Amino acid sequence: MTERDVVIRLLLGLIVVVFAFAVIRALAPARTVLAGAALAAGAVALVALNPAALANVEFWAGLVGFAAILSALMIVIHPNPMVSVLFLIVNLFCVALFYLILNAQFLAAIQIIIYAGAIMVLFLFVVMLLNLKAEEGLTARGGGPQRIGAVILGGLFAGLLFDAIRDRGPQPYFEPGSFASGFGTARELGGLLFTRYLFAFEAASLLLIAAMIGAVILAKRRLR
Amino acid sequence: MRAEFFLLVAALLFTIGCVGVLVRRNAIVILMCIELMLNAVNLTFAAFAHESQSMTGHVFVFFVMTVAAAEAAVGLAIIIALFRRRRTTDIDDASLLRW
Amino acid sequence: MDPAVARVLVESTVKIALFFFVVLTVIAYMTWVERRVSAWIQDRRGPNRVGPFGLLQPLADGIKFLFKESIVPPHVYRPVYLLAPALIFIPSMVTLSVVPIGPAVSLFGWNIALQVADVDNGILVILAFASMGVYGIALAGWSSQNKYSLMGGLRSSAQLISYELAMGITVVGVLMVTGSLRLNDIVTHQIEHGWNVLYQLPGFLIFLTAAFAETNRLPFDLPEAETELVAGYHTEYSGMRFSMFYMAEYANMITGSALAATLYFGGYHVPGLHALGLSEPLAAAVQVLAFCSKVAFFLFVFVWVRWTLPRFRYDQLMNLGWKALLPISLLHLLWVSFLVLTGRG
Repeated sequence: MTERDVVIRLLLGLIVVVFAFAVIRALAPARTVLAGAALAAGAVALVALNPAALANVEFWAGLVGFAAILSALMIVIHPNPMVSVLFLIVNLFCVALFYLILNAQFLAAIQIIIYAGAIMVLFLFVVMLLNLKAEEGLTARGGGPQRIGAVILGGLFAGLLFDAIRDRGPQPYFEPGSFASGFGTARELGGLLFTRYLFAFEAASLLLIAAMIGAVILAKRRLR
Repeated sequence: MRAEFFLLVAALLFTIGCVGVLVRRNAIVILMCIELMLNAVNLTFAAFAHESQSMTGHVFVFFVMTVAAAEAAVGLAIIIALFRRRRTTDIDDASLLRW
Repeated sequence: MDPAVARVLVESTVKIALFFFVVLTVIAYMTWVERRVSAWIQDRRGPNRVGPFGLLQPLADGIKFLFKESIVPPHVYRPVYLLAPALIFIPSMVTLSVVPIGPAVSLFGWNIALQVADVDNGILVILAFASMGVYGIALAGWSSQNKYSLMGGLRSSAQLISYELAMGITVVGVLMVTGSLRLNDIVTHQIEHGWNVLYQLPGFLIFLTAAFAETNRLPFDLPEAETELVAGYHTEYSGMRFSMFYMAEYANMITGSALAATLYFGGYHVPGLHALGLSEPLAAAVQVLAFCSKVAFFLFVFVWVRWTLPRFRYDQLMNLGWKALLPISLLHLLWVSFLVLTGRG
């Protein structure tokens, strides 16, 4: 089963799940928890049909991919910005899990420390401080043809990207144990950062100082 | 694992982020969709690093994360400064410089 | 299933179950310790009615909380309101799971490492989940949809992220002398070269102060003080959910104590144990006991400081974090680099 099939199954599964959830919620609005439980039961039943899949890394990668795509969709769809922040945190965690599968354990830890632990806290603070409410007019009615056009263009763009990726030709498959020991560790990355990419490293520290000063000055209140 | 799976998922995430930037009107959600796009790019870099067994991809991810942090901080500061004047985060309101 | 995979699963499940049981019991008895020690400091008796020396008091408190009516106010944002108490627990549990309790023992023919997860970058896991601890409190404050809770949650989160920095920098000091991110390697290094507290004392003091701030304990507990902001971020919580916040605070204390013991006080090392020439399981048991007593000592320090020092005002707290601890920790880092360069570390 090629990776493209996995992604297509993911998308179909996503559509089925969202549709089922919406239907159950529309029919029995006070029973959303039951709807979620029914979906989870369905997922467990699917796994029980093929228990050997649990030991397969592709199964878990597919599951994490499902969660990542679902949370990304919820970021864009949900009107309340605080809920969007929470879904972005879930998405960042899924990407960190992807890094772990890709043998990039230092990047996974850094992703959680910096992205989910610092940048998202910044977003959380700003949303809480500005006390933002749910955005009105998120349906296709408000904002009209522009939004529908954007979604259609997005679909076309995704198709273009899929085509470009599919055209790459046969890819090598790496056994999990076949990497050089130390691939993805902090030691290797540090070795590269402080020798070959030293200039970029120092420039990045200058960038961070400029950003710190800029952020403090831009958000400062005028002193009367 | 083959890299193609991660490239496809990253492409999907990137597209969702793009559509989010175009569709949403709240400035903070737009910034979050930009972060989503940056994450998709990071995932692509990590997948290619895995495929070519070279750590250069990881170095790129490191720097993209740094730049994303800096950009999120400054972007949010700008939004706060705008919000103080106009009490709204709707970006359709920040149109004074339009022709 | 592959026997190696099965073995790892069984081992991990047993360790996790044991770990949860022990940590939850310690949390329950920390309430008893707190009340007895505070009574001793204040020259009165603590709970001594329920069972001998009041030892069954935590059980009675637990039963009381279970039977309390759990009210969910109608104006809260339900999904996040229900999720927030769990979110506070998870970071401290995950952080504790990478701390080594004792040396690796060989029981039943297997070589078992006495920690739930022996990851190659243990320190990064600790830093990652310390930063995740902010979310439970901030979301509890926000989901209560109440301006006092929101302010309490914001204040507490700001305090947490400020002190996280100083803590991280002192941990980098420990990392520099050890040269590895694994917690087992840090303990092994301290066994060979002496405990880190001996030549990184300022770092240890900064770490301990930051741990007080990270766990929202006095002298840094303004966000949840009874006389301020009603009750801070847990104003709208009642019954079992409120007790989860309470338990999560003790879990964070245990994590902070375990980290202080591992990073600076040699973890499970007992100086001079080799000279006794004990058999391996017995030596391992003694070292586990030594680790537990170090953690107990730090927990006692937490309680002692709470009932001794007055509370910081919020702006004093933020000043201390940014204008005092951060520069001192950077200077400490310079000192450690000097030690490493001259070959002492």
